[in-house]
Amino acid sequence: MTTAPTVSASGLTLRYGGTAALDDVSLRLREGITGLIGPNGAGKTTLLRVLATAVPADRGAFAVLGHDPGTTAGRQEARRRLGYLPQNPGFHLDFTAFSFVDYVAILKELTDRAARHREVRRVLEAVDLSDVRGKRIKRLSGGMRQRVALAAALLGDPGLLLLDEPTVGLDPEQRMRFRELIAQAGESRTVLLSTHQTEDVAMLCHRVIVMVRGRIHFEGTPAELTARAAGRVWSSAERDPGARAGWRTGLGTFRNVGDPPRGAALLEPTLEDGYLLVLDGEPAEVASL
Amino acid sequence: MSTVIDKAPTVFAPVETGRRPAAAVLALARFEARELLVQIPVFFFLLVYVGTTAWKLFSPREDMNNYPILHDVDRATQPGTLLLAVAAFICVNVAALRSRRHGTDRHFDVLVLEPWRRTVAHALSVVPLAAVTALGAAIEFGWAALKPGAVGHGSVAELATGPLVVLLSGVLGVLIARLCPRLAGGPLVVVVGFATLMVVSSVVGQTHWLTWLHPVVSETSNNPIPSDLLGRPAAWHALYLVGLSAVLLCVAALVSGGRTRLLKAITVVALGAMVTGIAGQSPGDDAALITARTKASSTPAAFQSCVAHGRSTYCSFPEWTGWRDDWEKVVDRIQDLAGGGAGGAPLTIRQRIPVVHQLEGDAAIEPLHTPGEVTAGTRWGGNRVPEFAVGVASVLVAGDEQAVSKMCDARVVTVMWLAMAAQDDPMTAFRHVRLDDSLSGSAVALAPTNPVGMSAEQTRIVRALLGRPLYGVTARVKAHWTELTSPRTSEARVAELLGVPAAKNGTGAGESCQK
Repeated sequence: MTTAPTVSASGLTLRYGGTAALDDVSLRLREGITGLIGPNGAGKTTLLRVLATAVPADRGAFAVLGHDPGTTAGRQEARRRLGYLPQNPGFHLDFTAFSFVDYVAILKELTDRAARHREVRRVLEAVDLSDVRGKRIKRLSGGMRQRVALAAALLGDPGLLLLDEPTVGLDPEQRMRFRELIAQAGESRTVLLSTHQTEDVAMLCHRVIVMVRGRIHFEGTPAELTARAAGRVWSSAERDPGARAGWRTGLGTFRNVGDPPRGAALLEPTLEDGYLLVLDGEPAEVASL
Repeated sequence: MSTVIDKAPTVFAPVETGRRPAAAVLALARFEARELLVQIPVFFFLLVYVGTTAWKLFSPREDMNNYPILHDVDRATQPGTLLLAVAAFICVNVAALRSRRHGTDRHFDVLVLEPWRRTVAHALSVVPLAAVTALGAAIEFGWAALKPGAVGHGSVAELATGPLVVLLSGVLGVLIARLCPRLAGGPLVVVVGFATLMVVSSVVGQTHWLTWLHPVVSETSNNPIPSDLLGRPAAWHALYLVGLSAVLLCVAALVSGGRTRLLKAITVVALGAMVTGIAGQSPGDDAALITARTKASSTPAAFQSCVAHGRSTYCSFPEWTGWRDDWEKVVDRIQDLAGGGAGGAPLTIRQRIPVVHQLEGDAAIEPLHTPGEVTAGTRWGGNRVPEFAVGVASVLVAGDEQAVSKMCDARVVTVMWLAMAAQDDPMTAFRHVRLDDSLSGSAVALAPTNPVGMSAEQTRIVRALLGRPLYGVTARVKAHWTELTSPRTSEARVAELLGVPAAKNGTGAGESCQK
């Protein structure tokens, strides 16, 4: 881990009409994997698109590896150093996996043909697609396509990797495989992983950010988020009316999250419990930057 | 959003990309070019183009291909390239829309290579296809130029037109993709553009300047003229096409967000080149050229050199001197078959062109009235050989070309037998020299100037004679030469003199000179 952040953002604000997609967002991302979770419409994708330089923010400033995307030169330098896997990435379906990634490599200005092809083979091997690199993308499964997109994002060994819900739509096995790849990718670079899967965050991330309505409501470690629910998860035979959330488990008992009654049978909290409590009107508490 | 908050961390060193956008543009252009060349329309039209070119090169079409006129061959390479131009337009348009169709544009827009540079790469991807077109044109021209019978001078500008049109079409496809990013945009613009051109043409008329705004102006004719009388502004037109292609490319790049000084400067230069090209090609034929054409038609001797071979003199425009030997062979063979004084009569073979008002079209050449002068055209090989032979035989029999129109009875039979018997394959030549490719009935036999009208009986007699051994007929012709060339000898008499049986059912009564 280094002390200097890969991404420093301050006061990022972006409005679509009357809606604030981003509302004064400040954050710093360092090496390792940071999970970005929040409900639909929380602004996760918008934040990633702003950091990926796809759209400019209305207000605020940020830097990627020391380069200011507010300037043309800075934006180009930032783009050279980031990999972006968008939500629902498109593919040129008639291209082979190799040619598609090769195409993206050219757009990343990897101009030397031999070196570029080496790099394309490397990233395809990294996502375990070497065997199907000559197959047309239209013949690949959804999981394989996602891996092609990840391979494209990994081109050039970027210092910052922005992944927007990369595991959505994947079956459990594919999701496990993808987790492995993301974990590997996060070993030597900064990864911002936007996801709905709290399991992914719990298993992969060093840090977690919870966004609600364009604002950051929590930033800390997964353990800190989990700790928010310590003493606030309990078991009962019926759903506790005082619980903020409660559901019947496979054991037949109810798992309640909220303010437990006196003498309640407390359970070990999970990251999801902490997330639910953050969403449920908890006062914003952002870990110090 | 302009303040940099932190200093760059030192932990990470990304893969060196070279930071050479021009190199990336070329790499992308190469990638797109490979994709373009395997697209079905391009592949199909390329096959058609190669097939038609090969057919033109290798087909036994009248053997006229063995005597190519290079300043016609160069522009004959242009129309075939229109197929490739259409394919380039369609496929480059589709390729430029690919990211939008597949939803990758939002992703690709955050990659390093800016959209306007990608636009340039798409346009440059047509260059290999244009190069293939240039290669095809070069092979077609080179093949013709290497033939022993080739005459004339080709023009690089004419040869460059086809490839430039392919390039222009590709660039247009890119521009339309940027202006109207829908698949239907390309065809729609083509239809609207074509309709506009038609309307403008109908309102303004087919004026020279408007005609030359078209990408290809082929202007084909059956009577080629010397290259220095063509007056085609091919170099200006090539400059116009280059300028127009560059202007369209620059506009596409500007629409895609390109704002560099270099791009703006290139736009200005391209605009200048295009305007200069239009200005250069627009004036049309000047007075000096029109006068020169008229003189070359009316008094060709002033433009020609002559050489005496054997009994006759052969005069041609400077570019056609290589054909004199071929003319001589035909003349000698006919004179060997002729009797009386005709066998040793000195002839003057004069190459001539029709009065040229415009290059396109087939104007007729007026017959000469000077005794012993025979017209040779500016084409040779195939059917032109028996046609020339008919002209030579006509002058030997009738005295001059003017008299050919009044030939009848025995003279027609004598002329046609002389002309056809001198051919390598008399019966085939006889069939082809007749306008309707027939071997029976009345017909018109072609000649460089006045055609020869043949009755059914004359046709029957000539066909019968051509089916017999040459030496036997030749002896009879020489023996009865005076009577056979007399306007007073009837068809019945000529049949009798040459030993052809009378026609059954009285069809032997052809038109006589008296009638």
